[in-house]
Amino acid sequence: MATVVELPRLSDTMEEGVVAKWRVAVGDKVKRGDVIAEIETDKATMEFESFDSGFVLALVAEEGEALPIGATIAVLGKQGEDPSEVLAGPAKAPAKRVPEQPAAKDEAPAKDEAPAKAAAPAKAAPQAAPAEAVTVDADSRRIPASPIARRLAREHGLELAAVTGSGPHGRVVKADVERAVSEGTGKAAPAGAPAAAQAPAAQQYSAELDAWGRPYVSRPEQRERLSQMRKTIARRMAQAKREIPHYYLTIDIDMEKAAAFRADFNATLESTKISFNDLIVKAVARALRAFPAVNSAFAETEFVRHGDVHVGVAVAVEDGLIVPVVRFADQKSLEAIALETRDLGQRARKKQLRPEEMSGSTFTVSNLGMFGIEEFAAVVNLGESGILAVGAIEPRAVVVDGAVVVRKRMKVTLSADHRVTDGAVGAQWLTLVRGYLESPLKMLADPHH
Amino acid sequence: MPSLQIREALRDAMREEMARDDRVFLMGEEVGFYEGAYKVSQGLLDEFGPKRVVDTPITETGFAGVGIGAAMCGLRPIIEFMTFNFSAVAFDQILNNAAKIHHMTGGQFSVPIVFRGPNAAAHMLGSTHSQAFDIFYAHIPGLKVVSVATPYDAKGLLKSAIRDPNPVIFFESELMYGVRGEVPEEEYLIPIGEADIKRPGDDVTLICWGQSVPTALAAAELAQAESDLSVEVIDLRTLRPLDEAAIIASVKKTNRAVIAEHAWPYGGVGAEIVDRIQRLAFDWLDAPIGRVCYDDVPMAYAENLEHLSIPQREDIHAALRAVAYRD
Repeated sequence: MATVVELPRLSDTMEEGVVAKWRVAVGDKVKRGDVIAEIETDKATMEFESFDSGFVLALVAEEGEALPIGATIAVLGKQGEDPSEVLAGPAKAPAKRVPEQPAAKDEAPAKDEAPAKAAAPAKAAPQAAPAEAVTVDADSRRIPASPIARRLAREHGLELAAVTGSGPHGRVVKADVERAVSEGTGKAAPAGAPAAAQAPAAQQYSAELDAWGRPYVSRPEQRERLSQMRKTIARRMAQAKREIPHYYLTIDIDMEKAAAFRADFNATLESTKISFNDLIVKAVARALRAFPAVNSAFAETEFVRHGDVHVGVAVAVEDGLIVPVVRFADQKSLEAIALETRDLGQRARKKQLRPEEMSGSTFTVSNLGMFGIEEFAAVVNLGESGILAVGAIEPRAVVVDGAVVVRKRMKVTLSADHRVTDGAVGAQWLTLVRGYLESPLKMLADPHH
Repeated sequence: MPSLQIREALRDAMREEMARDDRVFLMGEEVGFYEGAYKVSQGLLDEFGPKRVVDTPITETGFAGVGIGAAMCGLRPIIEFMTFNFSAVAFDQILNNAAKIHHMTGGQFSVPIVFRGPNAAAHMLGSTHSQAFDIFYAHIPGLKVVSVATPYDAKGLLKSAIRDPNPVIFFESELMYGVRGEVPEEEYLIPIGEADIKRPGDDVTLICWGQSVPTALAAAELAQAESDLSVEVIDLRTLRPLDEAAIIASVKKTNRAVIAEHAWPYGGVGAEIVDRIQRLAFDWLDAPIGRVCYDDVPMAYAENLEHLSIPQREDIHAALRAVAYRD
């Protein structure tokens, strides 16, 4: 008996998922534990290991198709078994009947004897929906297309997203694919290129003219469906901004000692190079340990004082943002933090993090210094009381002992949940962070708490 | 080749089969002295006598049952319903006896019987006398169901139905008994279960049977003239068993299908055809399959409303345009 493979729940918050890539094809033999697909959840793209063994009888889910948890994505079974038995569907087609004699010919009935029908006004033809632009959907590839258009596009190696649909609701129909074939448009782009870029630049002209009477070039707008990650970011950021009353504190930190410390550290301990961000993570973690009021969360009728310090480090990835977590960061050495953040960051960019590596942070650090941003304010992650936005370290003219001197300086901004802390508390905590960064050796001392 | 009306072609089929096989007899209301309510049995009483052309009282349950019994005992009855509307009274005999006895007796008895008569709406007969029984009978395993639209098909298929060892429901049309067409003088048979391409075409497959055949052919002409659509008209001729191969071959060529049926939409024969096409030709479809049916209401008596409820060539033309994305 064939076995149905269902879309698994791969993270706590996952409600739907996408088969990003099949790693097996129909007919392949699969052993329990073999990776059969890459599943895109709201957090990451994860390898999905089969719970069963057998031959792949059918791949039901299309790559890119968003499906609810538990949806049938594939069927495994014995070699040559019919997957339709386990796929819910109508009964099998009846056996083909082969006519034994050629069909007899006849002529149409004579018209004068046909049932007379008084000429009547024709019933109104169904109103066709106005043509809409085809939804270019690089992510899920849910492009409305008739079955034969889909098949022809596949046979000709065309990207459906690049074929303009002329049917109702922008449906790509056979004629559209045939036109694309004859015109040589819509060829599949090299792997990796975003599908939207493959759309031929339908160059049209605006009705509006410039001062010399020439039309402006006007390009049609494109619709792009949200990826699972973008959906999650949209939902959580909107909720955070809606529910959390943010306040912002910016402090200017002298990084001369930190820079010297880092140079000395990296020159002395050749095995691991630490970054400024590692120093900041460490300083933040130590400050959180020293200051439990900030390592808290708001829970309507009570504060949740986190017992542990887990620092999230925001990482920009293609098409979004992932926050891997350095757990027990207050108890980890700079070296350990450096190794861990590098590994987490690399795997985050490949969307290979496990859910537990992206959850449980009690505070977050977001750094845009490498882009030259002087200062900015970040949005607090839900379930945390604050986020530290880190700007660039730059030589700036500052006044020291009554004289203008050039020093390496860095601005950091604390965005904090006003329901959890007030400005004075936030300021005290920031001062503590500054103290660690301006005297890095303090971070090497055993914590007193 | 002589030109005959459908009623004459049907009579010739019965006459030839009665002459060929003395087990064949005709029974029903007004089939003898009156020569059939629609004159289908003209001359048969004179030729074969009252033992083989039997007038019955108005008792459909009774004479349908007598016919089934006779068939079980080795005769080849043709039971005429004055219209299939009255077969509702005999439905239990057809459903539970004609269709089931071969199965219930493990093959010891068979029921080689033909139930024939006009089906579907005619002209201003009111809702109870305008029923379309296509799907009622096509739904039942154990029956064969034929629906004819031309004299040639009527004769060839009725002869096959009379010779068939199974119970056959044979639909005619009150409005079409006068339809003329050429019928060869020499004997011929048309096998049950074979559709016929009444008009070849490339753009859309238009599936029809019985009363919808002339309307479909007219709609195909209109579509060619006004919409430049080449429509392939397939006359199913048999509703059960269905000529799936013919339908699928045509849809694979045209990528589009419309079903025109003189019957109600819910669960109709057209719905069954849609199911076959979507399963067997999914990757060849370029548009959702269209259906043109009676309006989903009891058939009106008023002439204007009846006209609006029954598929006209303009309705079918609109459906052809829709599946060809012409609107």
